[in-house]
Amino acid sequence: MSGLSKHFRVSRREAGLRAAIRAVFRREWDTVRAVEAVSFRVSAGERVALLGPNGAGKTTTLKLLAGLLSPTAGELTVAGHTPGARQAAFLRSIALVMGQKRQLSWDLPALDTFELNRVVYGVSHSDYRQRLDEMVELLDLGHVVTRPVRQLSLGERMKCELVAALLHRPKIIFLDEPTLGMDVTMQLKIRHFIRDYNERYGATIILTSHYMGDVAALCSRVLLIADGELRFDGDIDDLVKSVRPVKRVSVTIPDKRHRVGMSEYGMVVKREERVVLDVERGKVSDVIAHLLSREGVRDLEVTDPPLEEVLREVFERRRPSP
Amino acid sequence: MTPRVAAAMWRFGMAEAMAYRASMFVWILATCFPLVSLALWSYLAEDGAIGGYDQAGFVSYFVAAFMIRQLTSAWVCWVLSRQIRLGELDAMLLRPAHPVLHHMMSNFAALPMRALMALPLGVGVLVMAGGGDPVAWGDVLRTLPTLALAWGIVFLCQLTVACLAFWLTSATSLYEAWLALHLVLSGYLLPTSLFPERFAEVIRALPFHAALGFPVEALTGRLSHAAYVEGLGLQCVWVVCFGVLASLCWRRGVVRYGSVGA
Repeated sequence: MSGLSKHFRVSRREAGLRAAIRAVFRREWDTVRAVEAVSFRVSAGERVALLGPNGAGKTTTLKLLAGLLSPTAGELTVAGHTPGARQAAFLRSIALVMGQKRQLSWDLPALDTFELNRVVYGVSHSDYRQRLDEMVELLDLGHVVTRPVRQLSLGERMKCELVAALLHRPKIIFLDEPTLGMDVTMQLKIRHFIRDYNERYGATIILTSHYMGDVAALCSRVLLIADGELRFDGDIDDLVKSVRPVKRVSVTIPDKRHRVGMSEYGMVVKREERVVLDVERGKVSDVIAHLLSREGVRDLEVTDPPLEEVLREVFERRRPSP
Repeated sequence: MTPRVAAAMWRFGMAEAMAYRASMFVWILATCFPLVSLALWSYLAEDGAIGGYDQAGFVSYFVAAFMIRQLTSAWVCWVLSRQIRLGELDAMLLRPAHPVLHHMMSNFAALPMRALMALPLGVGVLVMAGGGDPVAWGDVLRTLPTLALAWGIVFLCQLTVACLAFWLTSATSLYEAWLALHLVLSGYLLPTSLFPERFAEVIRALPFHAALGFPVEALTGRLSHAAYVEGLGLQCVWVVCFGVLASLCWRRGVVRYGSVGA
């Protein structure tokens, strides 16, 4: 993807009857720059997360990659194809799963859609049977696939969407909020399934999610998009280090009297029974030694700052002043 | 397009039609206007034939119009325009099969079920009205190609209007206007031959008549060989016209597709 841009022309009007009548005769337009000169390259088999605040351009980027949208400018090649041409060979090599949209027919069992996809993608009966059995078992679907889709829970429906999207064994998978609205158990199951698919078949995964758990569990590389522009492309660890060059040190200090003087070690994030400190990376070993020598200190833990906080800081830094 | 894919889509459409059987019955009832016309015109024909139709002639005409209306029905206009407007076309665009083929097979697959559900109603009305003119098997065979072309006109016309949803917020309103004209000019409300002769000639050249009145006249044996061949030719012209228009609108529209929604 090189210098890729996507602009939308959208109508705009003020609220109220007068504005509504005026808009009938003279419509005003705005140009929304959803994606602006974005360039990146993803290698086969990589797991990459597209991150950004709402309206940043993540989903638009995924749709451009999947060939659903035509770019306004720039060059885009996916697996040797121009996505917008929507050639059959390209469509057979990709899958796009969107948490808020479905390909399953609402009033039919998911099995009917699976069978339709089997024929459309030219999957043989034996491969279909083997892949379906495997995915039904991995995702704990059982008899769920024989019930009308409208009677399934959100999690069950999402799992069936994944099966429908992966039956033809795509080499590139675009996932847009795949765990949206799911409980923690279901999120873990889907993350595990996606990771397993990537490792088994060497598929490339490009994912957007607002759940940092998805990102941390699945992707080592992140692409940070804000206001349609690519702001960061690299390792999650590098992102954390560059934004928050600190480690998060947590200790349990039950007695209030023993919690004094904590700010000497670093910035105090929380001062309760569990004290949380942000400590400069170079000073972490000294601070650990000091803390462990103090009276009443136990359960020491050192981690990176949470990804949510890092991203919030990045997005707030980039926000233009009013 | 491979026949295997088309057949799979047909089976899928059949399954959906069965799932929506109650809605389908309501749609059939909503299109039984010819049966209402039948009551009115056969009453008016009590004292003698009107425009070449006696009471039995009207019964045959309107029962045939009712059945042919069922066999040429399509709803791609409403479904596709909604998919375009709400960004629901994504799933179809991602499959290596043309979305229009999917809609075509889905609409086509519902026809047998629709005919099966409408048939008892048509036969019941025919019996209650004292029977119509006898239908010759030759006319039934002659009607088959006119039915296929009539369905093609309806489907492609709806497809063209649906594709306008790539540009317009409410493309279906245009088809509602089309339906209003269809009601009067297709032979749905009254046989075309009841219009003043010069007006009827113009109506016969329009797609409305080609989509309904012409197959009805073929089935009820009211067409000479020359009129039949001419009508078939006209149907082909309209199929090509709407086919070209639909293809143009689709190709230009899909580039504009906004794929709205997350």
